[in-house]
Amino acid sequence: MDEIGSPARRRGGPAGLSAVQFDTIEGLTELDDLERVYAQLCAEEAEVEVELGALMGQQSNIETKMLALHRMGPNLQLIEGDAVQLSGMINFTCSLAENVSSKVRQLDLTKKRLYQAIQRADDILDLKFCTDGVQTALRNQDYEQAAAHIHRYLSLDQSVIELSKQGGEGSAVEASLELLQEAERNLKVLVTTRLEEAVSTADLPQVERFFKILPLLGLHEQGLARFAQYLCSQLASKAEENLLLAVGSDLGERRAPVIFADTLTLLLEGIARIVETHQPIVETYYGPGRLHTLLAHLQKECDKQAQKIVDKFIQQRDYNNKFQVVQSSMMRGMTTEKIEPRDLDPVLCEVTLMNSRAELYFRFLRRRIVADFEVADAMADETVIQEHQQSLELLLKDCQLSRAMQELIGYYIPMEEYYMRESVNKAVVMDTAEVGQLSSSMVDDVFYIVKKCISRALTSSSSDCVCAMINHATSVLETDFREVLVSKLRAGYPVSALQDLQRGVSSAVSMMQSSLQQGKITNLTQTLGIESQEQAKSAYLVTLNNVEVCSENIRTLKKNLESDCAKLFSQGAGSDHAKAKIDSCLSDLVTTSSKFKDLLQEGLQELNNTSIRPQVKPWISSFLSVSHNIEEEEFSEYEANDPWVQQLIVQLEQLMAEFKVGLSPVIYDTLTSLMTSLIAMEMEKTVFKCTFSRLGGLQFDKELRALVAYLSSVTSWTIRDKFARLTQMATILNLERVSEILDYWGPNSGPLTWRLTPAEVRQVLALRVDFRSEDIKRLRL
Amino acid sequence: MEDYDYLFKIVLIGNAGVGKTCLVRRFTQGLFPPGQGATIGVDFMIKTVEIKGVKVKLQIWDTAGQERFRSITQSYYRSANALILTYDITCEDSFRCLPEWLREIEQYANNQVVTILVGNKIDLADKREVHRQRAEEFAEAQSMLYLETSAKESDNVEKLFLDLACELIREAKQNTLDNNDSTPMPGEGKNINYLSCCSMN
Ligand SMILES: Nc1nc2c(ncn2[C@@H]2O[C@H](COP(=O)(O)OP(=O)(O)OP(=O)(O)O)[C@@H](O)[C@H]2O)c(=O)[nH]1
Ligand SMILES: [Mg+2]
Repeated sequence: MDEIGSPARRRGGPAGLSAVQFDTIEGLTELDDLERVYAQLCAEEAEVEVELGALMGQQSNIETKMLALHRMGPNLQLIEGDAVQLSGMINFTCSLAENVSSKVRQLDLTKKRLYQAIQRADDILDLKFCTDGVQTALRNQDYEQAAAHIHRYLSLDQSVIELSKQGGEGSAVEASLELLQEAERNLKVLVTTRLEEAVSTADLPQVERFFKILPLLGLHEQGLARFAQYLCSQLASKAEENLLLAVGSDLGERRAPVIFADTLTLLLEGIARIVETHQPIVETYYGPGRLHTLLAHLQKECDKQAQKIVDKFIQQRDYNNKFQVVQSSMMRGMTTEKIEPRDLDPVLCEVTLMNSRAELYFRFLRRRIVADFEVADAMADETVIQEHQQSLELLLKDCQLSRAMQELIGYYIPMEEYYMRESVNKAVVMDTAEVGQLSSSMVDDVFYIVKKCISRALTSSSSDCVCAMINHATSVLETDFREVLVSKLRAGYPVSALQDLQRGVSSAVSMMQSSLQQGKITNLTQTLGIESQEQAKSAYLVTLNNVEVCSENIRTLKKNLESDCAKLFSQGAGSDHAKAKIDSCLSDLVTTSSKFKDLLQEGLQELNNTSIRPQVKPWISSFLSVSHNIEEEEFSEYEANDPWVQQLIVQLEQLMAEFKVGLSPVIYDTLTSLMTSLIAMEMEKTVFKCTFSRLGGLQFDKELRALVAYLSSVTSWTIRDKFARLTQMATILNLERVSEILDYWGPNSGPLTWRLTPAEVRQVLALRVDFRSEDIKRLRL
Repeated sequence: MEDYDYLFKIVLIGNAGVGKTCLVRRFTQGLFPPGQGATIGVDFMIKTVEIKGVKVKLQIWDTAGQERFRSITQSYYRSANALILTYDITCEDSFRCLPEWLREIEQYANNQVVTILVGNKIDLADKREVHRQRAEEFAEAQSMLYLETSAKESDNVEKLFLDLACELIREAKQNTLDNNDSTPMPGEGKNINYLSCCSMN
């Protein structure tokens, strides 16, 4: 039954079958069921009719298409025939082409063989020609021609020659080969001997003649070695001559102090000139990449000659002995023998000059050899390039010239260090302070010396030498010289009762206090007398200025050295590395500057503590003796006759006057700032010990304003912040009523930031005699 | 500002050929350079390491051992925070020279410098000429740290520099504590108040 209930389920079943099975209908008995099935079948019928209609509509369309297909039939048969024909044609063409190309290939092969045959015939002819040519050329002593023949023979394909021996003309070829080989041997011996002869007689045209022939015979190394031998002997005789002249030269001559540097320069310039002159023929006849070999030979002679110059230099300038003396006097401080730094000046200059010449020469060699290798190694692989690079480094770093210079510089550095230390000591001993000058002579002198020493090290063109001297300079400034300034500051700034008397300070109490506090100092200064005391004062101030100048000078020195070094080490191999090293040493140097800054700060603090505080303190506490619990009458009297603040300002002005003339503006400013903080602190303490009436508060406000106005006028630092608490205290002391504080407090404070705690506010309020403590207590802050 | 918490200067010293340059190159570049030539003057390299979250910049100065460069290398002692005194365990001579090096240190270095003794080339065990115990005793007597390394096999090289960095951090922190100083100035030693002795209050 369930099938009837869901006829839709059968839709989409086998085509043409109704959803209702025939036997199902048979089995129906109820009318209801029958009617339902009938309705269903009717609906189905309608549906089928619609479908049928649609199919019928398509019939004519399909028929037209069928007709068209029928017409195409014969055409297709034609196409098949054409295709078969085309395939046949292609096959035919293909085999034809193959036929032709194989013939062409054969032709090609034949042609190649033909060429080879011709080449071989040519070679054999050449061989004959060479054989004959060599004989004639040798007979005519035309060695160039002979060598050219041998060169031609050597560049023949050896396997072809071997093959030729087996050919029909084998014996003839063999004979001429033997002749050729013999000629080659003879020629090699002959040309080599002639070159040697030419070298030993220093016959340049002949040397050049045979030098050019050797590479034709494959004797590159020998050629270069012999040629170098000639150049070396030229070099040697010239160098010996120059050295003799140098040793015998008049001491009064202008160049006498640097005569050995000059002689070395002549030697090195000679080699540079040789490179300039002869590189073209080496390159032309030996090809690129040979310069290194030639220069390696030359370097041996250069080393020998340079060592002679250096030895003579050491001997005549007493170089090693000077070093020994310097060394031992630096180790033990005091020795019987001591060298005047001034006496070292010339020798130090000469050594740096020598080294700079050598560096210049090495740079020249490097540039030339690198360029030459670059041309030769354009196509070479990495290993060859690296090998060449290494051999270049070896040549430059391991040569005796290099080592000799390193040794000289090794002695130079301690001597320059000694020069610097001794000269700095001298500058300290001879220190003078001109009246009217803020700093004394030694700072300028010391920096002049330090700069001079490092600059001299710079002229050596050795970055290691420069770095070493920068390191020593840092040490001298940071340790030796700073210690000098420290010990001068340690002597302290004298303060005495006498000084107070001179100023006519009215308060006897304060005089007593300060003389009690500085009891020891007072005794000391009394015995020393006023004059030496004044000296000690100005010495202290000068030292403070000196410390500041040092700190500045170090910065300037660093900046100048930086740009000097940048110029000097701007190019060449390893220049970045050298710069990095120097930069690191310079940054150590400049760190010293801040150590001087710290020292200055300490010195000022000390001055403030020992000289300003003891005087300012009683002046401020005299505020206590001026009553601020006043009425209208006293207030107007105060107005007419200022009881305190004008006096304080005058006293401060007097106190600071000597600092103002004695200190540089920057330091003076810092000192004033220290003093200002001190005043603010002392004022605050004092005010808390005082009592005020309403008018007393107003009076205090006036006094504070006058003080702040004065202090603001004498320093460039902002005072407002330091006096913020006091200003707020004055505000509180000026209130009408206790509760008025609430107009300024908490949410009503506006832009004002309170620096006083609630407890402090109450404390200040309590200073007013007219405010009741209950009111203050009741305040909600 | 630069990205590190501490900056330390480490200077390597010791006889020529004991392997200073190889140790530095192993540590900074992770390689053992074939055919390493003798150092000329002083070489300079930088490596930043991180130790327990602390960034330490190590400025390493590799000096030449050859005698003629002595005066150049001496100028670096004073500002060094640490010295690595190196010898070659296969070379008795390099060990015998140690007292001479210690004299140099005594003379030129600052007295807070940390010195570590390093015996290099332990990969060449069968060629050893200096026994470990002997070196250890020597180091102890001079109150130096001691470590044996091989730049070639990378033995203890990392440890050498990192241990040193740790020690330097420890000392720097100690100094800061002693000074009650809020800004650490590594390697700056104690900030002595030069004038305090004449304070009159
Ligand atoms: N087997 C072995 N050889 C080493 C080791 N370290 C260095 N060498 C070799 O020792 C030689 C010298 O090494 P360097 O690092 O140049 O020595 P150095 O101490 O820097 O020498 P100077 O620069 O002249 O002072 C080189 O040939 C290195 O290959 C090592 O750990 N094991
Ligand atoms: Mg080295």
